[in-house]
Amino acid sequence: MKLTPLDRKSSRDLWRLKLQALAVALVLGCGIAIFVMATGMYDSLERARDAYYTRYRMADLEAALVRAPLAVGADLATIPGIAALELRSTGLGIASFAGSLEPLSVRIVSLPHDRAPRVDGLVLLRGRWPATDGRDEALINEAFAEANDLIPGKTLTVIVKGRRRTLRIVGIASSPEFVFAIAPGELLPEPERFGVLWLPNADASSWLDLDGAFNDVVVTLAPSANTDHVRTMLDRRLERLGGRGAIGRDRMLSARYLNDELGQLRTLARILPPVFLSVAVFLLNVTLTRLVVTERANIGLLKAFGYADRTVGWHYAQFALALCTLGAILGSVLGRFAGDYVASVYRAVYRLPVLEYAAGPEVYGGALAVSIVAALLGASSAVRNAVRVAPAIALAPPAPTTFGRLAASIERFGRALDPRARMVIRRIVRYPRRATTSVIGLGLALALLVMSGHFSAAAKDLIETNFGVAQRMDVTLTFAARQHPRVLHEVARLPGVLTVEPRTSPEVVLESTRHTRRDVVFGIEPDAQLDRIIDIDRHVVAPRTDGLILASGLAAKLEVDVGDRVRLRATDGRRSSAELPVAQVIRSFVGAAAYFDRERLVDALRENRIDGALLRIDPMHRRDLALRLKEIPAIAGVAFADRTERSLRKLFEQGAGFFSSVFLTFSMVMAGGVAYSAARVTFAEQQRDLATLRVLGFARSHVSGVLLGEVGALLFAALPVGLCLGALLSQWMMSRFETELFSFPYLFDSGAYGRAATVVIAAAAVALVWVRRDVDRLNLVAVLKSRE
Amino acid sequence: MRHSVFITRDLRRTYGDGPTAVHALRGIELVVDEGELLVLVGPSGSGKSTLLNILGGLDRPTSGTVHFRDLDLGRAPERAVTEYRRRHIGFVFQFYNLIASLTARENVELVTDIADEPMSVDDALALVGLSDRADHFPAQLSGGEQQRVAIARAIAKRPAVLLCDEPTGALDVATGIRVLESILHINETVGTTTLLITHNTDIARLGDRVVHFGDGTIRRIDVNATRVAAQDLHW
Repeated sequence: MKLTPLDRKSSRDLWRLKLQALAVALVLGCGIAIFVMATGMYDSLERARDAYYTRYRMADLEAALVRAPLAVGADLATIPGIAALELRSTGLGIASFAGSLEPLSVRIVSLPHDRAPRVDGLVLLRGRWPATDGRDEALINEAFAEANDLIPGKTLTVIVKGRRRTLRIVGIASSPEFVFAIAPGELLPEPERFGVLWLPNADASSWLDLDGAFNDVVVTLAPSANTDHVRTMLDRRLERLGGRGAIGRDRMLSARYLNDELGQLRTLARILPPVFLSVAVFLLNVTLTRLVVTERANIGLLKAFGYADRTVGWHYAQFALALCTLGAILGSVLGRFAGDYVASVYRAVYRLPVLEYAAGPEVYGGALAVSIVAALLGASSAVRNAVRVAPAIALAPPAPTTFGRLAASIERFGRALDPRARMVIRRIVRYPRRATTSVIGLGLALALLVMSGHFSAAAKDLIETNFGVAQRMDVTLTFAARQHPRVLHEVARLPGVLTVEPRTSPEVVLESTRHTRRDVVFGIEPDAQLDRIIDIDRHVVAPRTDGLILASGLAAKLEVDVGDRVRLRATDGRRSSAELPVAQVIRSFVGAAAYFDRERLVDALRENRIDGALLRIDPMHRRDLALRLKEIPAIAGVAFADRTERSLRKLFEQGAGFFSSVFLTFSMVMAGGVAYSAARVTFAEQQRDLATLRVLGFARSHVSGVLLGEVGALLFAALPVGLCLGALLSQWMMSRFETELFSFPYLFDSGAYGRAATVVIAAAAVALVWVRRDVDRLNLVAVLKSRE
Repeated sequence: MRHSVFITRDLRRTYGDGPTAVHALRGIELVVDEGELLVLVGPSGSGKSTLLNILGGLDRPTSGTVHFRDLDLGRAPERAVTEYRRRHIGFVFQFYNLIASLTARENVELVTDIADEPMSVDDALALVGLSDRADHFPAQLSGGEQQRVAIARAIAKRPAVLLCDEPTGALDVATGIRVLESILHINETVGTTTLLITHNTDIARLGDRVVHFGDGTIRRIDVNATRVAAQDLHW
């Protein structure tokens, strides 16, 4: 293919403007990279999850019950819509192993005799399956094994139902049911502290006192099945057997977490790329408009020679397309690497057997298409100018730029300034659109930084508020079965215990006129100190005696508001029910729960029970307490708050840390790109003025002051804009990241704003120093001898 | 006796090297006296502007020496040359090089702000007859008016030397005469040494001496017995 002179001109123009072109391509590339990374990751994660769920038969419904004979299984299997079911024995226990200081919580799950589970299958990662008739052999889940360095051959001491046994780990497995293994009553996974043990059915059943019986059923549904219908049928048949109400995937913690994560990735893929793309469009617009202005005479010549308008237009459009293609390629490569990295982070958190970052051709195709649209948008006005200008006019020298006086008050102010400052102010006023877009571009970079800083700050605040204000216990004990409050006296006598408070948190079914939902109601004592209700504004909310306090997420699900009535039905114990008004709806910080005055709750349920205890302890006796707790059969779970806090921090840092550094880099690119572009254009337009100042005897530093002054003024104006935009973007992003379990409050963190502003100023300063070199190299003679 | 303002010895300026080298100046020997009005004439590319640029501190010679009084312009550091331009030199260009975003007055103030003993802005504008246009922006002035602002800007700092590179090149006759009158007026009243480049041989009659350039050398120097007044010129 032979290059036409115009093609050669295009490539030379591109080379001449290489740095500006690179700024455009880089900013665009950042947007594309986030798009490719987040969209590709979303697809990959969704694909990996779906494949895992399908291949290993993830349950569609799970129903826990007190106890039912195995024969009931045949009856359940007749429910229309059920494709497969598995009857299991499950229970909670306390575990320890050689070297573990504090007691760990485990969930025992039975494995069917001599076959793989029909529902919630297992992937054996290492070791072997337990022998079908083997006693004391168990599989453990991968995350727990890794966090505690447990390998096949090691042993665990486990207490369940008061019976202590030593189990030998024969293999390490994972299951779609426990992509996230979360202890009952907890909100986040703590692989160090909570594990899953799979035991052969005979062994598990006898240990759990469930010989010939089961207490848990998991079900997969036929494709055409109506989930609600099957759920109702299951509940009906299990009710008399102590059924606690079946839950769908939407209530299974692990599945919910995966869903939330997917939602956040989708948010990221939708919100951020447009920010970068719009800045890239603006930069492209500035660069091309300037190119067309400087090429005015050339455009006139080309047209005079007989080039068609559209050929001339295409010539400049090509320039934009070349830049955007470069941006798309850069962004795709960068996005791919980022995707691989994020996949490796996710692999450490989610236990999916195969999680490879793989973006399909549609993702890269989409990236290219988006870039092309950006190119055309950015180029449109410049190309239109090139097409429209008549050759005779293009060939004539342009009319001098007309400046006017500013408003009298500004002029009065201006008189106090030196002429160079006036030059800066009048130019900004003369080109308001350009100044505004520069301000917005710099402001967006700043906003992005504020937002990324805000995410870390919000996560930190969430942890600090939760552990510092709401949950102030040192240890949470979960009882294997509900207890009478008098056991608190015994708990108080444990080593190092300073304060004890009861935890009453029965699982209930909440029914409004329209919806039914299984959840937990917390009975809170009016003078509770260790576990308090906190709303999003960090205010302590006192429990109500006149009705329920509902978290807004739960209220929305039930479609109820203050004054409406909700029926409460306990899923265990006496299974009594009560109808209560909704006294208050709050935006809660963590968890979507219902709260009631403890005394009123136990009255309503006609059962004075506690499900656990909250302790304040003397740190000196922590070790003694931990050792003692390992020995108490009635305790099914022990959580030390500081450990929970630490693993929560780790979880947030893993995700937020990476994204913060990505945002930091990308925002610096954006700020640098906008500042460089603004300075470049200012320099190009003011070359003659700057050279004149040099000729008149102004030193280089003074002359660069004009350039720096203009970009500096724009930057100065961008700071408040960026900080406000950042606050809005943070609020919005946080609301998009809000899940049913976590609300991220907006909080003003002056440090985050200061850091963001510093970074943007630094990036702009680097860009300015770069352009300043051109001021120093200004060829005075050449500039001044040429016609304007 | 008049003092010399500029002395050049074997002044050479070459752009590029090898066979494509352009020898813009080939050994210029010239002495310019204080208060003198020197007119430089010659065809395009003959070296007039190169000499003016070197004298003005915008360019440096390749070899030879050029002195402004005691200052060796060829070897002085950049800072000293900037200082020299600021204190002693006023430039007037063919394309006025006014700053579009500043008014006439402010363009002149640019210079008076950094000069040691400038004349007042009003005086400078009065000298070129533009007192009533002081608050206009360049785009609101005619070509001749813009050039006169440029002259006012050049002389406001009371420079020792005024360097004018084809100041009337872009102007019609009547306007050109008005501009030249301003230059002459300043030369006569302030005593500013003035070097003026022109293609117009008629304008050469304004000067005390006329230096004829050709191919980077001085071909000859004519001395005008009497200087004609600007209004007597016609071209």
